[in-house]
Amino acid sequence: MPVEMLLEVHDLVKVFRRARAVDGVSFSIPKGRIVGLLGPNGAGKTTTIHMLLGLITPTSGRIVYFGREFPRHRAACLQRINFASSFNTLQGRISVWENLAVFARLYGVRAPRAKIESLAAYFGVTALLHARYWDLSAGERTRVNLIKALLNDPELILMDEPTAALDPDIADKTLALIEEIRRVSGVSILYTSHDMHEVTRICDDVIFLDRGRIFAHDTPLGLTKRIPTATLALTFDGDRAAVERFLAERGERFRFTQPFSVSIETTEQAIPSLIFDVATVGVWITDIDVKKPTLEDVFLTIARGPRRVD
Amino acid sequence: MSTERITGVLLQEVFITRRSLEVIVDLFYTSAVTVVVFGFVSRYLVGVTHQSAGSYLLLGLLFWEVIRVNQYSLTVGSLWNIWSHNLSNMFVAPLSVTEYIVAHLLSALIKTFVIFCGICAVAAWGFHFDVLRLGALNVAMFFANLTVFAWSVGLVLLGVIFQMGTRIQALAWGMIFLFQPLTAAFFPVSALPPAVRAVAYALPPTYVFEAARRALDVPGVNWAFVGIASAENLVYAALAIGVFSWMVARSRSSGRLARAEG
Repeated sequence: MPVEMLLEVHDLVKVFRRARAVDGVSFSIPKGRIVGLLGPNGAGKTTTIHMLLGLITPTSGRIVYFGREFPRHRAACLQRINFASSFNTLQGRISVWENLAVFARLYGVRAPRAKIESLAAYFGVTALLHARYWDLSAGERTRVNLIKALLNDPELILMDEPTAALDPDIADKTLALIEEIRRVSGVSILYTSHDMHEVTRICDDVIFLDRGRIFAHDTPLGLTKRIPTATLALTFDGDRAAVERFLAERGERFRFTQPFSVSIETTEQAIPSLIFDVATVGVWITDIDVKKPTLEDVFLTIARGPRRVD
Repeated sequence: MSTERITGVLLQEVFITRRSLEVIVDLFYTSAVTVVVFGFVSRYLVGVTHQSAGSYLLLGLLFWEVIRVNQYSLTVGSLWNIWSHNLSNMFVAPLSVTEYIVAHLLSALIKTFVIFCGICAVAAWGFHFDVLRLGALNVAMFFANLTVFAWSVGLVLLGVIFQMGTRIQALAWGMIFLFQPLTAAFFPVSALPPAVRAVAYALPPTYVFEAARRALDVPGVNWAFVGIASAENLVYAALAIGVFSWMVARSRSSGRLARAEG
């Protein structure tokens, strides 16, 4: 059975005067997937999201939601998606209830009172419904923003750094809520973030943008596997000079972090034999720590260059 | 065009107006205090000059408020969303720019009508100046013409704000006063220097204020002035819609619409 695509982006380009902010970006989001859009500052993530929402007009390229061209079928497309961002807040002067009532109208929600009440109960903000939005904490605002993003039962939510500016505890709870939303409703999400742990945790696929271009699109695991190196940290009792001599003879890249602790940059496959061989030079290994590459390493490799990880 | 979405924006306007002391002060309070001050000044002028000077002043103020309140409501109504970083949220909903503007025009019209009725009541009750002396038809036509002119100015200002962001937000409540002397709101056009009169006659409210003053002295509808004002208003409205549409398209292209809040 063919996979249903909720969003297809074809060769999207945005040129601001002299700068090519987005340069031929193409990707698609299948039903039920969470796709992460990552990249260093200025990579083109937010510009891409804004084009997908119709806030910025693309220079060229096509955006297709649910098989319908955007923005030609703007209202019909936007009716089935929603947006949450830590950078956009709701109207601060008015209450949470009033804000949500306005958006319920804008999205044509049937039985808006019941919808708002049930979502407020789900997110644990029923007691805040009549508080002014400005008076809420950052974590409470994030939950209210997520309610706004779910009012129209969207099939796809675009999230632009929804946990930015949240403390780690609230960010973790927010992520748990997003995971729960996905589990319950099966909604697809396009998720931008700088936090690699978040992305590793919730995204099925990751698109890396750099200088407006996609140069890696894979699962989080697949991306980390593109960095072949891992770091082996050994602590030992015995002759340090013998270990140093042995590693140098093998041509390993290493450095001593403590007098009897050495950090060796090697490949994942070489780690078992390396541990065994070090033990044969007459030292007693007291601690082993293996640090595998993370998505953050991929990100840093991209952000600092070289420009390709594959 | 969806009436439900227009109602949604109107609902937001009701909520903001109800909860914002600034809106209440800028619109209702300022209008009420100004009409009282102008009422006393006109009462004083009646004693020292002649009856018409005082009446012209109060009449000018009542109709000037139609322009000020309409334009302020239209432009500042959107600034509330920009200040709250909520404008993007509005436009990523199925709401179109046209629906958004129609809602703000309606909101401005309702606020202006309520305030106009209120200050006319204060003028009648406190200073024995009954605006209906001009005739209900005159008042309705003057109100309509001044409203359309205010909307045109407001629409252009809104387009400029969408294009340039909040750094020029002061124009939203300050720009309109440029038209107060140019449209001869409180005095006959003949009081203006000849060079400025040409500018004045290019502005629809000038004909409205002139027609209103004449109607005070000689009852009846000045169809010529009303006709010219309406024709000029049509041109201004068409230009304003064109400029606004162009500004919105440019701000979408330059990315400024998305960054207007920042």
